[in-house]
Amino acid sequence: MPDVAVIGIGMLPFGRHPERTVVDMGTEATLLALQDAGLPPARVGAGFFANALAGRLFGDMTIGQNVFGEAGINRIPVINVENACTSGSTAFYLAYNAVAAGQVEVALAAGAEKMCVPGFGLINSGENELETKLGLVTPASFALRAMRHMAEFGTTPAQLAAVSVKNRRHARHNPMAQFREPVTVEDVLTAPMIADPLTRLMCCPIADGAAAAILCSTASARRMQRAVQVKAAVLCSGSYENPQDLVRWETDYRVCRLAYEKAGVDPADLDLVECHDAFSIAEILHYEALGLCLPGEGGRLAAEGETALGGRIPVNTSGGLLSRGHPVAATGLAQVCEVITQLRGEAGQRQVAKAKIGLAHCAGGDKDGDTKSSTVLIFAV
Amino acid sequence: MVKEGTNRLSPVEEGLFTPPPYTESPPKLLGGYCRKCRQHYFPRPRHCRRCLDPVEGASLGSEGKLYSFTVIRTRPPLGLPQPYGVGYVDLEECGLRIFGLLDPGAVDRLRIGLPVRLAVAPLGHDARGERCLRPYFTPMEAD
Ligand SMILES: [Zn+2]
Repeated sequence: MPDVAVIGIGMLPFGRHPERTVVDMGTEATLLALQDAGLPPARVGAGFFANALAGRLFGDMTIGQNVFGEAGINRIPVINVENACTSGSTAFYLAYNAVAAGQVEVALAAGAEKMCVPGFGLINSGENELETKLGLVTPASFALRAMRHMAEFGTTPAQLAAVSVKNRRHARHNPMAQFREPVTVEDVLTAPMIADPLTRLMCCPIADGAAAAILCSTASARRMQRAVQVKAAVLCSGSYENPQDLVRWETDYRVCRLAYEKAGVDPADLDLVECHDAFSIAEILHYEALGLCLPGEGGRLAAEGETALGGRIPVNTSGGLLSRGHPVAATGLAQVCEVITQLRGEAGQRQVAKAKIGLAHCAGGDKDGDTKSSTVLIFAV
Repeated sequence: MVKEGTNRLSPVEEGLFTPPPYTESPPKLLGGYCRKCRQHYFPRPRHCRRCLDPVEGASLGSEGKLYSFTVIRTRPPLGLPQPYGVGYVDLEECGLRIFGLLDPGAVDRLRIGLPVRLAVAPLGHDARGERCLRPYFTPMEAD
């Protein structure tokens, strides 16, 4: 099985792009990734395109062929991917598999989303699901985890706020992030309450955006100095067992463990992590599942600065979803872009010194108190 | 807790709870049970997810304890009240931990461990905008 490397990345600054379509944004990210890899479009052997919402919002479908067609990529397998918040990282997983299986020499993963439209409202996990009909909206599913985490481990609102404060501080040096102004713990705690105990500044904002990555076999990448190895790409659904423990998230722990096993690394080997901080409590739960701290200690880890730039294990040096915003199907690939940028040593003022091993973690969708999909990608130089 | 109109409105989804009126006995949650796996389900699936045998209908009772809760204070979906509460309830009879709405009149009295009981009333509207019956949990203790 050939080893796989990332040889090109590209993304648009996340934010409001009222004049641009999903196809337009996806095409630009794809072209940027090709340019970064120094490859002509004809070299791409398979393309995976992620989008989660355009079918519902704009009546679009099979957008990947439109995006890749615009970028001059034709006559290849093109697969459209929807996997909630992991749509982009699932496209990456599929591109990785296509190269690892020897099916193609070069594969492309791209994701684009347009959400900043009037009346978007709160996101849910599907209109026809019982939980949605009974009032579950995505912020509530994480608020329920936060309430339980506070009750069981003594996690405080100030610790939840510390995650938002840290990620905004990181975003200051990331031109791709939508919100780059610093916020204080006070700002976060006094922001309007969305779902107790999560205030608006503990919930990621929506955004328009696109991101892409180009993968090839390590053998072909050998002469490319900026290539980054993919050590593991893991995708899993939940267990949907009942009862679910909302704070010892079995699926999250399982997916992280599987990725570490495949990559042959330990949590202590990591130099940086991008994780799915859709809500500040989510980042805390992911610290625990990733083994960055013991179960229950995630709040303290954030508040004591261990996951800040300069700390023991910097998390979300990009500013995370909390600062970038969360164009659903582009997020997973934006995380890849950040980890690759860091491992190439090209992250400028937010660079983690001597970064050699990085991890991107994504999770999305609610089902039966569990996640619909979870991905962990581990990279190394 | 039977309010006016309860008998005429459709449930948000069929088969979740015993139908009104509740003059004789209070509402109970309905789900499924696999005898072979001794596993309860809510809502009732066609097949057991473990052994794939057909699942029989079962009452899941009406009482439980609040495992976690939150109050959603932003603009609500589906015509639900602002604010409204949701939570996970550990059901007494079957041990399932299920997601549900909480009594909108009790959002200030919620706490983890609170004993709650099922109620059914007109609450919000369905996807087509028609008012409908929803199950929710209300504190067993008086105010
Ligand atoms: Zn069974």
